Amino acid sequence: MRGGYVLRRLGVAGATIVAIVLFNFVLFRLMPGSPERILLRGVPNVSAERLEATRQRWGLNDPVLPIVIDDGGPRLALENQLFKYLAATVGGDLGFSFVARGQEVTDVLAQRLWPTLLLFGLGELVAIVLGLALGAYSGWRRGGPIDYLGNGVSLFLYATPYFLLGMVLLLLGAAVGLPTFGMLTAGAVYADVWARLGDLGAHLVLPLATVSLGLVGQYAIVMRSSIMETLSEDYVTTARAMGLPDGRILRAHALPNALLPTVSLIAINLGYVIAGAVTVEVVFNWPGLGTLTVDALTARDYPVLQGVFLLLSITVVLGNLVADLVYGLLDPRVRT
Amino acid sequence: MRSSIRARLTAAAAAAGLILGGLAPSGPVVAADPLVLRAGTDQDLQVLNPFNSILVVDFEVFTLNYDLLVNFGPDLEPTPGFADQWSVSDDGLTWTFRIREGMKWSDGTPATSEDARYTYQLALDADAKSQASADGYYLGAGYLEPYLLNAGVTAVSAPDPRTLVVETSFASTLLLQAYVPILPKHIWSKYTLDDIANVSATPFLNEPPVVGTGPYQAVEWKPGEFIRFTRNPNYWGPQGAADEVIILTFDNADTMVQALKTGELDYVRGVQPAQFDALKTEPNIVTVAGVSNGFSEIAFNTKGNTEGYGGSTSALTDPGFRDALGWAVDQAKLVEVTLGGYGTPGDSIVPPFHTRWYTRPDNPRSFNLDEANRRLDAAGYTRGTDGRRLDKEGQPIVLRVTWPSSEAENETNAQFIKEWWGQVGIGVDAYVTEEGKLLEDVVPPVAGGPANFDVQLWGWVGDPDPTSLLNVLRTEEIGSFSDSFWSNARYDELFLQQRAEADTAKRFDMIKEMQNLAYDEAPYIVMYYDAELHAYRTDKFAGWRSQPSEGGTPLFGYGSGGYTVLTDVNAVPTPGPTDVTAPTAGSSPTPSGTGGGGDSLPLILGAGGLVVIVAVAIILLRRRPAAAEDE
Repeated sequence: MRGGYVLRRLGVAGATIVAIVLFNFVLFRLMPGSPERILLRGVPNVSAERLEATRQRWGLNDPVLPIVIDDGGPRLALENQLFKYLAATVGGDLGFSFVARGQEVTDVLAQRLWPTLLLFGLGELVAIVLGLALGAYSGWRRGGPIDYLGNGVSLFLYATPYFLLGMVLLLLGAAVGLPTFGMLTAGAVYADVWARLGDLGAHLVLPLATVSLGLVGQYAIVMRSSIMETLSEDYVTTARAMGLPDGRILRAHALPNALLPTVSLIAINLGYVIAGAVTVEVVFNWPGLGTLTVDALTARDYPVLQGVFLLLSITVVLGNLVADLVYGLLDPRVRT
Repeated sequence: MRSSIRARLTAAAAAAGLILGGLAPSGPVVAADPLVLRAGTDQDLQVLNPFNSILVVDFEVFTLNYDLLVNFGPDLEPTPGFADQWSVSDDGLTWTFRIREGMKWSDGTPATSEDARYTYQLALDADAKSQASADGYYLGAGYLEPYLLNAGVTAVSAPDPRTLVVETSFASTLLLQAYVPILPKHIWSKYTLDDIANVSATPFLNEPPVVGTGPYQAVEWKPGEFIRFTRNPNYWGPQGAADEVIILTFDNADTMVQALKTGELDYVRGVQPAQFDALKTEPNIVTVAGVSNGFSEIAFNTKGNTEGYGGSTSALTDPGFRDALGWAVDQAKLVEVTLGGYGTPGDSIVPPFHTRWYTRPDNPRSFNLDEANRRLDAAGYTRGTDGRRLDKEGQPIVLRVTWPSSEAENETNAQFIKEWWGQVGIGVDAYVTEEGKLLEDVVPPVAGGPANFDVQLWGWVGDPDPTSLLNVLRTEEIGSFSDSFWSNARYDELFLQQRAEADTAKRFDMIKEMQNLAYDEAPYIVMYYDAELHAYRTDKFAGWRSQPSEGGTPLFGYGSGGYTVLTDVNAVPTPGPTDVTAPTAGSSPTPSGTGGGGDSLPLILGAGGLVVIVAVAIILLRRRPAAAEDE
């Protein structure tokens, strides 16, 4: 049974990714303007020959689909853009950036991936810990001052857009002398690895605070209602009747059950790490996938956009997959 | 229970202490702080091979790395560069340049006339290949070799290491304005023309460390983040106070301006009007609203619906029609609303930036809807029953007004134009077009395109010499640069004459006549010349000098002069030539940044942030197994 469940989830995730890869192919061929013009934008005197050469170089002369319908009726074309695209994508070749001339999209993405993972990984971690703790405590002490304050703050943070929160923190941070942009001081020479880490830490404070505060509200809210629901369950009443201490009831009985809804929320949120990156990274000039997306958009760097789009979709799908699997693991009823 | 939680907290605190202990001793990050000039811009540097340069920042970077044969002075006048003297033969066709004596590349190799010959020959080779293929061949983006071709250069030679001889096919002073960096032959000649021209599969990217003769050399480039330059130890000219120059890219202008306020940046380019106003009252900050060397225009498809052209009406071909519409455009209003007041209402196709060449039109138009109506009536565009004017074929005139997606501000302009032209009976259908699509739409039939537009709102950026802006309206450029397809024999004739005219006064008269012709026949209605909004700090560097001195900006102009004139505000003695040393040996221990104790605070806060995270992680990890046990 368990194997069947896992296989089914994996199958769905795999099919979704294939659909995304195909959609990616179609989407970028629906863009207005022909690709060779976009490739050569900024070049003043584009000749017919140069356009042709560009078409050759980028394989744009091949038929788009494997089936070509011409005078002789439908026929199979093995040399086509779709097959080449699929083969290249599977092989990890996402093409070349228009802008960073000669640089592979995979390299561009790789450089920008880890700053985003660092920022949002840590941000999620802080938000999860703080959010769940706050939510659990608020739910446990419902109606108390912490609950009122915590719930109010949670709702406020949940409702505040990232960039607004970011701009406020940026102004506050600048006032106390925190670095306001970038990941490291540009051009700094470090005495040792600790100095480097310290610089990184200082640069991390403001964007990390933005990400964590932006996320903490929703975790706290979900955890609070979840705990409250659990506390009305019979087994909690039973535990109380047995004379177990409150702390033990909360940690051993209420919390594990209350965690279920938050697990799926967290897992899905993890999938949106890159999507959420855009605004926070732009506010703090953080050199991650978010700023890359904005740069690629303004420069119409379609291969990079395509790569970001693919990566983003895959993380969302994987986030959902992890949510499904963890949920199945925690709640035996789901596995059947 | 309580006690055990406390125990865990102590353990976490101990772990935190360990980390802090590791961080604390290394408080001073840098041993000897170099004096760094940090400049922020809203543009994202794309290339280090100068031939691929398109953006302002691309050009700024290569003029730091390299010298031009003849550089641009404080007022854009020719000033010694790679060559320190030059002369021209009596017939004006042969130029002789004397290359600076004892000059070296930043890697120590002697820099000679052979390097200059090699660089210019690249452009000639590309042109030869272009002629041979009868279809075009360009060095990278193709922006640089026209500087030599427009100056009529036919041959270059280096008879001895200090002499460069350039032959031209016509007399012209344009050669002294050639925006072509002189490249080190000993490095670039390892690559083929195709590699350099960016058409081979393995293009030459000119990655750092870059070797040049300019004042600062690129040593580190993080695309999308910053490019860092260190002082060229072999630079021939006066050294600027900055040991390093860092140009940073910002996606968010608010963040950039904030960093200027905190002192994390010394200079910013690309400030928004609202921020610019707010910066004016900041201490130690100077704002500069420079005149940009370019214009934004309403461009007509002057071939209209002529055979093969995709315009919607024959009225577009009538200069009287276009002129009448010019009376229904309130340039001052567009400057006020679209540019937030930072700009100049437009008239001539030569912007006022060119103080030596700009002239106001002899017969200027003003915003006057009655006059526009009167002129449309006089030109025979009568109104139909619904009040809409009809063209000569009796069709109602509805102009498609479009602009590229990259220029969002034109949306505002288009709304005004629609309103004004509507009031004189001309329908307007305004919509944005994706830039790649619009680039295709404006290609005329002669180059295999549809010329499928009526009116487009776009802009041009010029050079220190007005030639490139004047060139856009030439008949010969239909199929290349011309996006209005306007053709005027007198204009074409004057263009060639002014290009070959060495006498400034005579050349001025020619350029003036050209400006008037273009203004009167109105293939373009120039909307405005926007302002370059920059700002810089005065508490770290002094000596900021605008280029041109009237209406210019200190940096992001033409050449590296704006960097080398800077002095250190905090230096006790004025840095003389004796201070010139290798880049890492910082001269004076100047505190960079906000100064004082501010430097350690972020470090401590950052460390604190890390500690909290680690502590929380430890608690979390410890708690899990405990819960599991209880279950």
